[in-house]
Parts: sequence; C-alpha cells; structure tokens
Amino acid sequence: MNIYHNVKAQWLAYAAFFAVLALVPVLVSDSFLLNQFATYGVFGLLALSISLCWGFGGILNLGQGIPFGLGAYGMAMTMQMQSQDASNPLPPFMLNNSLDHLPMFWEPFRNTTLGIVLSLIVPTLFCAIFGGLMFRARVSGPFFAIMTLAMLSAWYTLILDVQPYTNGANGITPPSPLKLGEIVVDPYSPAAYWTVLVLLLVATVTAKLMTLSRFGLVVQAVRGDAERVRFLGYNVAGYETLVYTISGFIAAVAGCCWVMLTQYVSPAQFDTTFSLSMVIWAGIGGRLSLLGAIVGAFLIQGAQSYLGDTFLNTWLLVLGGFFILVVRFLPKGLAGLVESALGKLSSRRGRDDGNGVAASRLVPQPGE
Amino acid sequence: MRTSRRSFLKTAALGAGAAIAAPYGFVRTIDQAWGAQSWIKKGEPIKIGLLFSLSGGLAVPEEDSTLVMQYAIDEINKAGGVAGMPLEPVIVDAKSDFKVYSEKTKELILRNKVVSIFGCYTSASRKAILPTVMAQDHLLYYPTCYEGAECTQNTICTGPLANQHSKDLIPYMVQQFGKKVFFVGSNYVWPKESNKNAKIWLEKAGGELLGEEYIPLGGSEFGPVLNKIRDAKPNFIFSTVVGASDIAFHKQFKQEGFKVDSMPIASLTTGEIETRAMGNEFGAGHFLSAPYFQALDTPTNHKFVEGFLKSKYGKNGTTHYNMEETYLSAYVFKYGLEKAIKAVGIDGITPRVIRDHSAGIRVEDDVSPEGLIWIDDQNFNCWLKPKIGQCQADGSFKIVKAADTQVAPDPYSIYPDIGKCTADGLKGPDGKLRKSVI
Amino acid sequence: MAVGSFFGSFDWSAFLNALILGVSIASIWLIAALGLTIIYGTAGVINMAHGEFIMLGAYSSYMLQNYVGLPFFLCVPAAFVIVALVGLILERGLIRYLYKRPLDTLLATFGVSLVLMQGVRLIFGSDPKYLAVPPIFTSNFQLGFVNISAFRVIVLGITIALVVALWALFYRTRFGVQVRAVMQDKEMAASFGINSDRVYMLTFAIGAGLAGIAGSLFGVLNIVLPTMGTGYVVQAFLVVVVGGGTLAGSVIAGGATGELQSVFAYFTNDTFARFMLYVLIVVFLRIRPQGLFAPSAKRR
Repeated sequence: MNIYHNVKAQWLAYAAFFAVLALVPVLVSDSFLLNQFATYGVFGLLALSISLCWGFGGILNLGQGIPFGLGAYGMAMTMQMQSQDASNPLPPFMLNNSLDHLPMFWEPFRNTTLGIVLSLIVPTLFCAIFGGLMFRARVSGPFFAIMTLAMLSAWYTLILDVQPYTNGANGITPPSPLKLGEIVVDPYSPAAYWTVLVLLLVATVTAKLMTLSRFGLVVQAVRGDAERVRFLGYNVAGYETLVYTISGFIAAVAGCCWVMLTQYVSPAQFDTTFSLSMVIWAGIGGRLSLLGAIVGAFLIQGAQSYLGDTFLNTWLLVLGGFFILVVRFLPKGLAGLVESALGKLSSRRGRDDGNGVAASRLVPQPGE
Repeated sequence: MRTSRRSFLKTAALGAGAAIAAPYGFVRTIDQAWGAQSWIKKGEPIKIGLLFSLSGGLAVPEEDSTLVMQYAIDEINKAGGVAGMPLEPVIVDAKSDFKVYSEKTKELILRNKVVSIFGCYTSASRKAILPTVMAQDHLLYYPTCYEGAECTQNTICTGPLANQHSKDLIPYMVQQFGKKVFFVGSNYVWPKESNKNAKIWLEKAGGELLGEEYIPLGGSEFGPVLNKIRDAKPNFIFSTVVGASDIAFHKQFKQEGFKVDSMPIASLTTGEIETRAMGNEFGAGHFLSAPYFQALDTPTNHKFVEGFLKSKYGKNGTTHYNMEETYLSAYVFKYGLEKAIKAVGIDGITPRVIRDHSAGIRVEDDVSPEGLIWIDDQNFNCWLKPKIGQCQADGSFKIVKAADTQVAPDPYSIYPDIGKCTADGLKGPDGKLRKSVI
Repeated sequence: MAVGSFFGSFDWSAFLNALILGVSIASIWLIAALGLTIIYGTAGVINMAHGEFIMLGAYSSYMLQNYVGLPFFLCVPAAFVIVALVGLILERGLIRYLYKRPLDTLLATFGVSLVLMQGVRLIFGSDPKYLAVPPIFTSNFQLGFVNISAFRVIVLGITIALVVALWALFYRTRFGVQVRAVMQDKEMAASFGINSDRVYMLTFAIGAGLAGIAGSLFGVLNIVLPTMGTGYVVQAFLVVVVGGGTLAGSVIAGGATGELQSVFAYFTNDTFARFMLYVLIVVFLRIRPQGLFAPSAKRR
C-alpha cells in the first residue's frame, strides 16, 4: 500500500511539520525572521482554508479575501480603539473626514473582547449567508468562482467609497501593538509567533479530523457528484454552505492574526490578485492535501521574499509559468508528486505483501 | 478514527514539548531583540534603504525615484560622501504590493540596519509602513506630495502638502478663466483632502463650486462625469485624478468635444510623464501646479537635467516633480546627518537623532533644482514655492506663474480644532501633546 | 412633498444623455465580453487570460502603428489576427488538455494571464503607451441637447457589426451548425463526423481575436498598459454569467448592466454605482442561477 494514504503516517507528517515550525524560535533569534515566519503562518492558514473549501469540498473560491479582509478590518478597528481614550475618542482619520462622533458600528470595538469576537463572527456570518444563497440556488463550479470574484470587487469598492468610516484607500493603521488585558503582543516577539503557530496547529488538526469524519465523507461525495448525493437524500446545499463557512472562519482568524503582526489593513486585502494568490499557494502545494497547501504557502511566499529580488521582473513570469505547469501536469500539486513517488516505492515493496492493498481500501482515503 | 485521535494527542504533546523547550521565547524583551547598536561606524559606508516598487503598476513613478536616488547618491559620494563616509544604498523591490512594503521595511530596519529609509509614493503604502517605522523609532524620507493630517516624529517630507499645492493655482485660474469650477478626483484620501483645501482658496478668490465628482481608483470610464460637467458648464476643471485614470480623463475630455481654450483642466498631477503617455495633443493647453518643472530656467536645474539624463540612470528620458523631490531628500538627509554628527558625534547617531537635527535644514539655490527650500522645524515638511505651468504642444511646460516667497507647510491647516503639529507631537487645543498621530 | 419637487427639478435632457451614455458603456462592456461568451458558451472554458488578450490587442495595435506605421483602422483587424494566433497557440499547447477539468482551465488561464502581463511588461516596459487616431475620431456629435463622442459611436458600430457577424457565423454557416451541435452534445456530434477538437480550437481562436479588437479600441479610449485588461475582465465575466453564456444573453446582459451603471452613476456616483450593480447581480443570480438564456444543452 502507498504510505501516503496511511492515516497514521499522515499524522506523523503533520507532527513533524509542526515540530520543525516549533523549533524556529529556538534556533532563530532574529526578530525580523520570527515576524516573517509568523506572517507565513498566516498565509498557511489561508492556504489551509482554500484547501478545505476547494480541494476537499470542490468549491473553488476566488473571494477568500472577503472573510480575510473583514476579519482584518475588525481587528484593526479593535486595535485602533485601544489607542483612543476619553479625551481623544475618535481615530484621527475620522476627524479629517469631518465626523464628530464615533459611527454606530464602531462602538462595539471599544471593547477588545467584543471587537475580536465580532471580527470573527461577522465574516463567518457573511460566508454563511452568501454561501447559503448561492448554494441553495445551486450555483456551483466556475459560476460560483466568478460570483465570489464579483462579491470581492463589490466589497473592495464599498470599503474604498465609505472613506469617513474606513479611511478609504489609506486603510486603518493602529499606531500601537495589540493589548490583551495587561499583555502587549509585540509583533516581533516569539509570543506573537507562538500565537499564530498554535492557531495554525489547531486549525489544521481540526480540519484534518473533519476530513476523516462522516461529515467529511459526505462533503467529498458532494465534490464527486452532487446530483447523486442529493438523490440519496442529503441536503447538499447545507453541506456546501457549512464547508464554505468553516473555511471562511479560518480566513477570518488569519485576517485577525495578520493585523496583529503588521498593524495595518487596507482595501488591498480585498484585491483580486491576493485572493488568487491564495489559490496558487494551495494549487502548487497540493489542494487535496491540507499540509501540502500550507507548505505551498510557505514555499511560494518564501521564494518571493528571498528570490523575488534576484528575479525582479521575471518573478511573476516564473511564478505564472510554474503554476501553469503544475495545473497541466500535476493537478494534485507538489503533494501529488510525493504521493506518486511514495506509491512507486511501496508498489516495489508491495509485491510480496498482497493483502496490504485490500486493507488500505477500507480506510477512507483522506484528502483524495 | 481511534488511531488518528491518539496521533492527535501525540502531535499536541510534541508541540507542547517544543514550547517548553523554548521558555526563554516568552520572556525575551524588545530591547534584547534589537538593543543598542551603533548605526554608523567610522570609516564604513552609511547604509540607507531605497524602498520603491521596481515591478508592478506603481513601478511607473517609483522606478524613476530609485534611479534619481542612485544618481544623487553617486553625486554625494563623488563629492566626498557624508563626513568622509560614502553612502551605500540598499535597494529593494516593493512589487507594488502593500504587504511587501511592510515586509521590506522590517527587513531594511531589522536585518540590513539602514540608518534611514527613502521610499513610498502612494499614501496607502506610507500608511502600511509607518507603524513599523514608528515602533522602531526609525526615519522615513517621503519624497512626494501628500495630504498632510499626520504628525509623526519619524518622517521628513520633501513634497508639497495639500495646503501649499493649490494655493496659487485656484486664484490664478479664477482670474484667467472665470469663477465657476468643477472638481474631479480619484476616489481616495489625497484628492478629497486637496479639494477641501482648494475650496478654501476658491472661496477667498470669490469662485463658485459647481460640482464635485470622484472616480474609482484606476477607473477609465469618464462618460458620466463628463456629462455632469457639460451640464454644469464651469469655466475650468480642477483635477486630482491620478495615474492611468488621469490619462483616460484627458483623452476622453477631448474625445467628448470639450475645448481646452474655453474649459482647461487645472491639475495637481498631470506632469511630464503623464503627458508623454497620453500623447501631447491631449495634454496641450492644460495647467499643472508643482514645485518643479523640467523646463525651469535656472543654472542648477540645467545642470541637474543634463547631468541626470546623461548619466546611466537617465534612461527614461525625463525629469519631473516627483523625481526632483526625491533628489532633494538625499541632500536633506546629507545635511541633517552632517549637522547631527557635529552635534553628537558618530557613535551617537540614531535615525531619530538625524530627524531631530534636520529641523530648519536648507537646500540652497545652487543645489536644489527648484530653488531654495527648507525643512520646517516643527512639522518637518518642506517650505517651497509652488509654480504653475501650462502644457505646450510639444509636451513641455511653460511656467506662467511662480509664488513670490516660499509657502509654509501646515499638515493641519484645515483642522485647526485638532491641533498644531510640533516637533514633539500634535499639540491639541487643550495643550495636550500626542505622539505618532497617523 | 418629495415627489413633486423631485420631478420638478428632474432634468430630462441630462437623464436622456445618461441613457445614451449607458448604451455606449453597454457596447464597451459587451465588446469586452463577446470573446469570453463564445469561448465559454462553446467549450465551457472560463478564460481568466481574457483581460490579457484585450491588453495584447492594444499592444499589437501600438506595435503596428509605431514600428510598421500602419494606419489605425487597419490595426484593428490586424489585432484580431495576431491575438487569434496567440489564442490558437494557447489552445493547442495548453487548454485542449484541460477540457475535462473546467476549474483547472480557469486556474491555468490565470497562470497564462500572469505570464502574458509580465512578458509584455518585460518587452515594452511598464510605462503607459498611447495609440494615435485620426483627428476625426477625437471629436463629438451634438444634436440638440444630446452629446456623444465620435469614437463612442464607432465602438458601438463595431460592436453591432461583430454581434451580427457572430450571429451569422453561428446560425447561417456550416461551421455554426457544427459549433451548436458540439455545444449540445459532443459525443453525438462526433458520431456524425464533426471534429469537435477542431471546433473548440477555432472558437477559442475567434474568441481571442475578438478580445484583440476590443483591446485596440480600448487603447484609444483609455490607455495602453500591461495591467489594462484587468479593469475590464470582471465586468466581462459578469456579462457572461448574467447572460448565461449565449450570444443573445450577453447582448441583453451587457445592455442592462451598462444602462444600470450609467443611470446609477447619474443619480449617485461612479463608485457606488458599481457596488450597487454587483449586489444586484448577486441577487439576480439567486433568482436565475442559470443566467438569462441558458444554453439548451446540459449544464456544465
């Protein structure tokens, strides 16, 4: 049997990956690198959410920037309000836009806990409503992808337009780091890195357990043939909406972390290229493998940070070309490459172990 | 399922183990991370960061900024550098992506340990990097025009603020063409702030505002706006449309049958590069307000234009206001650093010390292509002379008016209630001082 | 009170101008969407590189005008040929392997769009270029209180001509019969001896060529930049999705969205108009997910 499909081996691979990430702050004392890796972790969360939605649920989502951006705006508003006080109740940009009192929807963000909760709930709710509307109308496949793209553009224009409330294109720039009670989360500290890593770990493990569950099997069946699953009496739209919403929630978490690390958000987070690049990470890493997608994000972003200046103008050319090759020849991404390599390895060994194949068929093939 | 849950526990345990193995990770403080260091060492090159986009959409203006900075650095180094030490640029590509701006700023400060950063063109990118710059108490030279309403202790700007930019343009246009004006801008912060200032000048000049329209950033459909202008029949148009949209605006203006003689566009952005990109026949006759034009007839400017275009950096074949402001920032840095070294010695130099010693720095007529400028000692923006140019049929500009004296920069000119920007922070009407207001 | 004063101050001539402008905006969006429509309608391929095909059309006109000295009205058909060739190469080299994986064609063509955009940037630089046109195109017509620029009329005329030509191609030629047969049932068509491979190839090339024409016109209206295509492509997608992927659907969808944009922009502003339009389209798709005129064939 191919060890790639062995659930135990998969968990080991996950453990090894996170162990390596956990070693980073031990080995690295460069605060820049730590911050950079934490940012990669955020991108890893995004790739994970795409893998869950697209690879596993079969819903291609080109608008993942929506929950990410909404989460990020919520967090930025929370952090911005932390630096306002009674003598100075309004964020500076509102004064410049001739507002004389805090807009209603900013009020809850005075409270840090409520602010963070809202930053997570609002994007999730949006995904539930939008996804619910679309999936119940049986919009699917490329059509859904285009609709997410249109929705993304709509949010982008809206946030640009309501400048008094969002500061338009300049975005929100909280002047000081996040304070949680008495603790200041310095974006360059190992604490910030650990926060992101633990969130990534929890999200990955939860997502993995989900793919292995009964719910996961139905979702994969929907990906295979939604019509048949519907005939079997399942509420297909419900399953699709749920997967899309969970993936949106993970993206919202990523958005919060991102603002915690960079203290900045702007409508550029709703830019189509950013949402499409999330799909590239997952596509190159391997959308069918949660871990593959995360590794994809690390690889591409790492390459952009370290090779981007060397390649300069050819970087996008290289990235685009690489992506075309992956789509054409490796639809399962780099993880698919690992899969077939391991497959060859085990088929050579498997000849004298005939019943191994039969046994492996009984186990649900995760991420298949 | 059972195996997987057990493995999950294993994974969790592994993670927790790693966490315990690194307990110091939680206690290390900021000071240890990038504690005291000497920013400049005697006899070694002085590192400065150039943070502009060399690829992507913003590369059009920002690549020129990188080139002209390199030209200025070469010029300074040839003349002996700063206090005998040469300047060494660390050039990075921000890829027109605000995420990259933020990442590269951290890299320049924390890894390359540059003593100052020269960078950004759009306000959005400046806002993206300012939290990092302020958290590290570092120094950003922002070499272009912007809206103001910011009071940080970590920036020096060499371009015009909104309160300087249109001060002469509006009265001039009212006087030449008539009282009625229509405002068109790109839909973001700088045009809206500029228009607020323009309204004040307009009121003083006795003009009348007929309408105010904003186009999405990068938008190219000006039909609806031009229809509204046609109905309103203004005497001139005041434009703060930027980038590719600006070119579409000028083209459609002519294609829709508007005549430049009877209703010219007075712009804050349509300079030498824009005119070249749209074709001279679309730019001719319109007006621009800027502190610098390539056509300025002074010996210093002739030297700058010829020297730059002949150098290996002059491949794009023009100089314009944004480049000249960038060029000035190199000299403001040089003079500020020299003054700081004299005051505190080489070992005492930090980015913040350079900034504090840059108050009142002057760049004289024989160095500054646009003529004498100096840095305000309170808000660290630039005193300069805005000039008005009219685009000619060959794409060059004829200067039709220049301010008599340098105009004071005031980032909070239209918000007197908020306070006054001083060297130590924003002083509110209640006398309270607030630092790092962005 | 509001109603009376509203109609009292309502400016009918301005509103009529907004409606006429709406026709023009509609023609611009439609010509951008035509190529996308036939590629999607026939082969079910969502071509993310469509915006870059438009951009290539503008650049090929620029190239011919500046290096060969071709007059502008010849650049337009030349752009069709050049971009159609690029489309042909792309189809043969990449797309034809992906017809069974519609989501993957979307992704692969996105990769293509990155490569094309950056490739053009490397060759021509990222500074904007411009297309020169005879001065007659840069004037405008005035009939009473109605105003419209000559070039907008030309764009409208070319759009109408192209729609008619496409209709004739699909409904009045042998090739059109083959295309419609392949659209309805590929296997059945094949059993009647229709070479579906060839049909896909040709429709893809024609679709790309149409984008080329659009590009050479947009280069005059707007600006020639490596990123110019991205501004049109979302609108074009929406026209195709609302129309349901048929020619008639796209014509009506293009007309409706263009008019709505112009009218919303007349009452509010451009940015808000665009936002309202997007939201309306989402609501519309909730009611009619298959678009205005879904093809009679099985849904892909």
